[in-house]
Amino acid sequence: MLAVGSKAPDFKLQDHFGREVTLSQFQGKRHVMLLFYPLDFTPT
Amino acid sequence: MDSVYCHANWAQSLGGISFPLLSDFNPKGAVAASYGLYLEQAGITDRATVIIDADGYVRHISSVTPSGERDLAELAGLCEEVAEGYRGDLPPVETPPGLEGKLELYVKSGCGFSKAVLLARDNLHLEDRIETHNVSEDAAALSVLRDLTGKEQAPCLVVDGRPMLESQDIIRHLVTRVTGWWTPEK
Repeated sequence: MLAVGSKAPDFKLQDHFGREVTLSQFQGKRHVMLLFYPLDFTPT
Repeated sequence: MDSVYCHANWAQSLGGISFPLLSDFNPKGAVAASYGLYLEQAGITDRATVIIDADGYVRHISSVTPSGERDLAELAGLCEEVAEGYRGDLPPVETPPGLEGKLELYVKSGCGFSKAVLLARDNLHLEDRIETHNVSEDAAALSVLRDLTGKEQAPCLVVDGRPMLESQDIIRHLVTRVTGWWTPEK
């Protein structure tokens, strides 16, 4: 896993409300918590 | 899916009561992999938590393993520490406008769009705030819907007697007012 203190890689994903979310959109605005979890099923 | 709750104030500022679930699927696990959290052999993402400050730096990263359980109280505490230790000013958290008026939702069975709206309703904890009717099971409700809109299209959100069709519009209405999350770009 990444080391503490390293720059977090940006990403661009869709949320389940259909909106595009990037990490960089929070730059200078909010701290962010990412909760990763195993995929339990395969989306269609 | 995990239904995970974080009660830290600054996490709430992201999405109010609910928070967005992101789909890291195209390519599969790519974002997780960029954080060193994709378990290649098993083909799954680790159950890990990353806290990133507003400057974009990793301040905490930990895993409980795929079958483990997160300690949310501990993580919330770590969030608070990051927020308190952060040197710099962040824009103030905007208070979401809140939902107003009498809300009635008409859905139908076997409808993906209805399911999406019901998911948003549940994620936002609006089960008691919105009166929901399944027109596939309730003929009277179907009749009301037809009178109101001239058709039997569901899902339909009725706000103070005014119908709103299209699941994306309904979801956007609920999400923006409850969490302030889906706001126009500034």
